[in-house]
Amino acid sequence: MSIMMPVPDQAILDRRSSIVAALRAIVPGEGVIDSAAEMQPYESDGLTAYRQPPMVVVLPDTTEQVSRVLRYCHDNGIKVVPRGAGTSLSGGALPLADGVLLGMGKFKRIRDIDYENRTVVTEPGVTNLAISQAVAHEGFYYAPDPSSQIACTIGGNIGENSGGVHCLKYGMTTNNVLGCEIVLISGEILRVGSKAPEQAGYDLMGIITGSEGLLGVVTEVTVRILKKPETARALMIGFPQVEASGECVARVIGAGIIPGGMEIMDKPAIHAAEAFVHAGYPLDVEALLIVELDGPAVEVDELILRVEKIARDCGATTLQISNSEQERLLFWAGRKAAFPAVGRISPDYLCMDGTIPRGKLPQALARIRELSEKYGLGVANVFHAGDGNLHPLILYDANKPGEMDKAEAFGADILRACVEFGGVLTGEHGVGVEKRDLMPEMFSDIDLAQQMRLKCAFDPQGLLNPGKVFPTLHRCAELGRVHVHGGKLAFPDLPRF
Amino acid sequence: MDILKIRDAKDVEQAVQAAIAAEQPLEIVGHGTKRAVGQPTATNAVLDLSALNGVTSYEPNELILTVEAGAPMADIKSLIDSKNQEFDFEPMDTSALLGTASLSGTIGGTIAAGLAGPRRIKSGGARDHLLGVAAVSGFGESFKAGGRVVKNVTGYDLCKLIAGSWGTLAVMTEVTLKVMPKAEHEVTLVLHGLDDVAANRAMSAALGSSFDVSGAAHLPQSAFRGAIGALASLGSQGSVTLLRLEGIGASVTHRANSLTAALASFGKADRCEDTASQAVWVAIRDVTPFAASGPLGAWPVWRIVCPPASGGAFGRELARETGGDVIYDWGGGLIWAALPPSADAHAGHLRAKLAAIEGHATLIRGSDPLRRAIDVFHPHSDGVAALNRRVKSSFDPRDILNRGRMTLVPPI
Repeated sequence: MSIMMPVPDQAILDRRSSIVAALRAIVPGEGVIDSAAEMQPYESDGLTAYRQPPMVVVLPDTTEQVSRVLRYCHDNGIKVVPRGAGTSLSGGALPLADGVLLGMGKFKRIRDIDYENRTVVTEPGVTNLAISQAVAHEGFYYAPDPSSQIACTIGGNIGENSGGVHCLKYGMTTNNVLGCEIVLISGEILRVGSKAPEQAGYDLMGIITGSEGLLGVVTEVTVRILKKPETARALMIGFPQVEASGECVARVIGAGIIPGGMEIMDKPAIHAAEAFVHAGYPLDVEALLIVELDGPAVEVDELILRVEKIARDCGATTLQISNSEQERLLFWAGRKAAFPAVGRISPDYLCMDGTIPRGKLPQALARIRELSEKYGLGVANVFHAGDGNLHPLILYDANKPGEMDKAEAFGADILRACVEFGGVLTGEHGVGVEKRDLMPEMFSDIDLAQQMRLKCAFDPQGLLNPGKVFPTLHRCAELGRVHVHGGKLAFPDLPRF
Repeated sequence: MDILKIRDAKDVEQAVQAAIAAEQPLEIVGHGTKRAVGQPTATNAVLDLSALNGVTSYEPNELILTVEAGAPMADIKSLIDSKNQEFDFEPMDTSALLGTASLSGTIGGTIAAGLAGPRRIKSGGARDHLLGVAAVSGFGESFKAGGRVVKNVTGYDLCKLIAGSWGTLAVMTEVTLKVMPKAEHEVTLVLHGLDDVAANRAMSAALGSSFDVSGAAHLPQSAFRGAIGALASLGSQGSVTLLRLEGIGASVTHRANSLTAALASFGKADRCEDTASQAVWVAIRDVTPFAASGPLGAWPVWRIVCPPASGGAFGRELARETGGDVIYDWGGGLIWAALPPSADAHAGHLRAKLAAIEGHATLIRGSDPLRRAIDVFHPHSDGVAALNRRVKSSFDPRDILNRGRMTLVPPI
């Protein structure tokens, strides 16, 4: 493991058996796991390069138990790492050797479906897809659709502010959640928001969403659901240069068209995906752009014509339009399987997640190519092109000495380039441990201090998920100190009126 | 009263640092159009950001705009209008309601107030469109949060917190916002004569359809007492229920026809289109039936947010019990209520009733003495209130910025 995690507290480890016993008193039966063999599935999340067995795993199934577990850990200075389905791609649920891993998998019940208010109230361990499935018979769905939606939980989605292919048009998790029940590390249970479209006062839901498990543990979520569009069709467009596909994306958006999804794959990704799922992708193009348009048929038909014209003007060499739902799904099949497809052509890969301004796509791709040559590692690119979110997949072999370090350095350089181009380190996968040490590339010490101060408002002892998001930990007392400048000389040179 | 006129972002940092040293709270203003919202602030020093009014960058093809916080809304709107773009959250212009000069207000004030218009039900509020911010905290430190791209989960989403915080957490100096292309065409379906509860059902049916409704409002007949401008043409026969469809021509026509058919049991829908439709929604957005210059100009006005399907019954009962007037937006999720003057502007009664439906109410218009006497912002549970105080302290530990504006009893 090439990332430094907080040093385990030996005093805590020495008390392990009494801690386990105390947790068993709160969560009886099989809800506390302490054998090495049974804890193994919890050692890692979707970022499998990092592994660490936790001190103990706790699987509560009521809010009351969550509250008591957290209060116990708070009172005893024990670190806690919350976990949903463990699909984080940034190591957000990586355990700590001296920490309790708090698994929320038993919170599996949808509590309320309300079509009049267009909301679902659910427990956090329900999967993203299960919410859509629960309302599908009425023609509704939950819009954010991360690729892991079959496995990832809504609680984890809150933690990571998950996106997906359709967030270009329908927003990320933060734009689709209305409220939650959250337990603070003190054990205090709070309700934030409701089925109302807006919260009162400070937007706590907005700050909880995407906080990567550092602020509290969500035990209930209220989400918005939408009626499914009447129809959806996709265009699959091949370009002889990647730059042309980027230009096409910029012109589609510039023309005022916001597609349901807009994705680019480069040649290595196209070839890997085609070999895997046989979606009929053209193999002689440098970039494949998939544009999905949804809405009433008349609208979709019209927009398809407009996108087709833009694509031809941008030099598209192949263009197919889906004429059936089956065909539309086939277009997507390769894109949706791009990660496992790349997994077949390379022993290991590292998936990056930077975002850049859409217009910088050609420069970013050129830079990735340069870096690929510099590091001598292959790369396959898939992008959520509509919102400038890049997913370069760096190909490497962990069994070759030094290659993983090289892949990580390559990835870090890509993310630095994203920031240089006016973008950000992560578009949807989160900072976690993976991008933690790159945060200073984007944020000054003061920027980070302000974020950490907010953390202090929720968790002054820093017990919830330490070692994630922030490269260095500071004590809240130190962060909260006000530096008084300039003595009593008030407002020295400002004009007064 | 000290008015400190800021020249650049560095001045803001210096002024806040000096205020900390002098233990002098600051009232943060742009054009000052919304100063009469909130508890009266406990300060006699005003930080005036109106000179911080430049456009940093506007990239129409990226749908991204970065401007200084004091930039006038009127200028920004005409800038993005020149590229046929707009703010999708349809920010409210409070001038009619509050009786300030029309077309005034700054982008900073707009974001700080977070008052989104009718399209919020489809496109979200100010908080959903604020991508990045540069600000000075109550530590006297300049910080930034978010970025200049639409998809970003790097670090805590401080933008969400700052939008709608009424200047109590940080002094914004620059904001980056998402802009959107304007719709090519819009049609509003007009249903006549529905009572509030039936109208609520019609709006729920419309919003639960796949027809992509971007506005759902109901104006009871009483809303037309002093009907002015655009609304006058709608209300002669009684109440109206309005459903807006926007998009490309053929799609809007198709959806209007389909929705008309789907709502046939609620009556025959009339239509108004494009310019006429736009004018109607501006009037709803700006709550012109309760305009300061209108017949209810002296009445306190509440902004009530509740689960949409509860709105109709709640508002009807509130109006009956208090003798007040209500209008509905967001499919019933937003109720504007002008209530006859009383000692507490019916705050106690209103909020007790709201507890049952998990709604909340903010007094948007009220006299100085009234705003000193009651909670302008909806009171929280003890736990959330305490958390909010800690959040405030994490940005502004000495309570320098807009002290007391959001809480009746100032913290500390």
